[in-house]
Amino acid sequence: MNETLAASHRLVAPWVDWAARIKQGKWLLETGTYALTEGAIAAGCRFFGGYPITPATEIAENISKRLPMVGGYYVQAEDELAGMHMCAGASLGGLKAMTATSGPGFTLMHDAYGWAITNEIPMVVVDAMRVGPISGITGAPGQGEFYVARYCTHGGNFETIVLSPNSVQEIYWMAIDAFNLAERFRTVVTILTDQVVADMQEDLFLPDDPAALASVVVPRRNNLAMPFFPVGSSEIDVAPNIVGRGTGVCVSTYTHTPEGYDIEDMDAQWAQTERLINKIRHNKAELLRYEAIGLEDANVIAVAYGAPSRTVKTAVLEARRRGVRAGFLRLITLWPFPDQLFERDASYLVCELNYDGQLVREVMRAAPDKNKVHFMGKSAELHTVAEVCAGLEGIAQAGRMPPQPHIWTEVR
Amino acid sequence: MTRLAEKYLRPSQIPTKACHGCGIGMIENWILQAIDELAIDKQDIVFGTGIGCVGRQTFATWGGDNFGGTHGRALAIATGLKLAQPDKKYIVVVGDGDAASIGTSHLIHAARRNLGVTVVCEDNMVYGSTGGQFSPTTPSNSITNSSPYGMTEPNFDPCDIVKAAGATFVAETSVVQWHQTIKVLKLALQNDGFSFVHVRFPCNENFGSYALGSRDTKKSLEWIWENTKGQKANGEPSGHKWETGIKHDASNSRPEFSKLMRGLAERVGKETRQRELAV
Repeated sequence: MNETLAASHRLVAPWVDWAARIKQGKWLLETGTYALTEGAIAAGCRFFGGYPITPATEIAENISKRLPMVGGYYVQAEDELAGMHMCAGASLGGLKAMTATSGPGFTLMHDAYGWAITNEIPMVVVDAMRVGPISGITGAPGQGEFYVARYCTHGGNFETIVLSPNSVQEIYWMAIDAFNLAERFRTVVTILTDQVVADMQEDLFLPDDPAALASVVVPRRNNLAMPFFPVGSSEIDVAPNIVGRGTGVCVSTYTHTPEGYDIEDMDAQWAQTERLINKIRHNKAELLRYEAIGLEDANVIAVAYGAPSRTVKTAVLEARRRGVRAGFLRLITLWPFPDQLFERDASYLVCELNYDGQLVREVMRAAPDKNKVHFMGKSAELHTVAEVCAGLEGIAQAGRMPPQPHIWTEVR
Repeated sequence: MTRLAEKYLRPSQIPTKACHGCGIGMIENWILQAIDELAIDKQDIVFGTGIGCVGRQTFATWGGDNFGGTHGRALAIATGLKLAQPDKKYIVVVGDGDAASIGTSHLIHAARRNLGVTVVCEDNMVYGSTGGQFSPTTPSNSITNSSPYGMTEPNFDPCDIVKAAGATFVAETSVVQWHQTIKVLKLALQNDGFSFVHVRFPCNENFGSYALGSRDTKKSLEWIWENTKGQKANGEPSGHKWETGIKHDASNSRPEFSKLMRGLAERVGKETRQRELAV
């Protein structure tokens, strides 16, 4: 990155400060799955329930080794439905919990998502996306669950938090961040990653100073008294409920009262929904994480998240070197969707690993002029720097992209 | 409210929404009787429920901590809870839908792991809360709202399944055998492992009315009693013969799941600390 670009480079995330402060540790060459496991353990994860699936299998393998070392439990569930329900149960019992899967397992978790979200149970779910539908090309990266992660259960009336990393180091910090947000918001936080970030090896700084780590981790607290469900309130940092301590707490599948009793009543439905939606919407500022280059002066802004953002970023830098006023925007927080990052009336080029166009539809909604939002969908392989450069130059010079093999541009 | 209900249940959640003549309340009363005879403290029991009539009528009635799981998954939730809070007793009441259909895989694997829970499968042999469709335990040839020509699919016995999967205590009883029901519930609760108690009870509204041609509670109870004995009052075969009593008792014969897992964590944790000290 040259000096001019460095000046306009921005990374907004809590781990910028953590990385600056925490200096004691060791450097490794490791995979994303390894980094995620270590981040989860550092965040206090003491339960994992899940089912092996490519490319998330190594998370299960790594954590099956690591959890007993720190007094935690690995349960290999009979399926993903069971895996996430076990995590919800463990978290209700006071243990920080995580599961990890890929698309086919992710779709089996919808019931458990609903249960955990409604009952405000903190936990982390990792989805390492691959090409689909269904088994697709199992070893290749995809980004097909952008909307599934948002609409991760049925019935509506809820908001979700979804984060996406693009490097081995970042997934380490993000694991801690995700557990922190899960505790603070009393909800499920989804890490939406992909096969490339999960499997690739990179430099990883692994802190080994317990005191320094403790300073960035939000510890589990236990709510021991009514109200168990602050319905109607958007307050965060409310201690999670605990089952098994004799508080008399009730959790269920039903619309609930502050006690957790089932109730069929419009006022109760309204109050519960206010809680589940507004605790996230009213605290959106706490959730914004992104990386950007040249947003201030760009005519065309390339937008990406996860693994594709790596080649897209290089392409933006190359396009700028060639004289194109290009910008780069990498979303780290995918949901709640950061509308405020799309206020600039520029052209947008959305690069994602699917042909149907998912992120691009949200950008069309959030951007001032949806006719200036372009789509570069690819599947099973990352966009090349040349492909994205050609797209940026085409949009900058002629308002449209040249046709390229295996690049889908139509959004209807 | 009875003395037991006052001692263990939540007044605000009683009476339940159960239909007239439903057996769910009777069974819950006998669960309380078993708890009371064993002198287990209310704080030491977590009460879990499934979906359908059994879940809906019993959720939040228990005076201690309650969880109502998603359909079929109460035992998966209980698996996580038991590891987090291993010193509690878990009573999970489910219907034939939860245990014998949508959640059977979790039932089997909880039995295989010897998870320390007592599962009370309250079986009315029909899907009651959706209005009377057959379940995997509906007796053959029964008319229900989804078997209008009679139950054609073969059924199965959930006790056989959990026994084969490794449950350490298995019993079958019925709502007309209250003395036996309390006895087996007490034994189930004393097994530090996976206990399964299958209790048949009548649904007048959605089974009696269609399959038996009557909404009369007494007739439904008589029908269960006859089929438990295998013969009618006049000595003729009743059509079914449901063996009741203890079907398998290997209580406390193998380690409970959370104890196994705690043992592993303690052993590996100790080795890890020793290794770190050596470095």
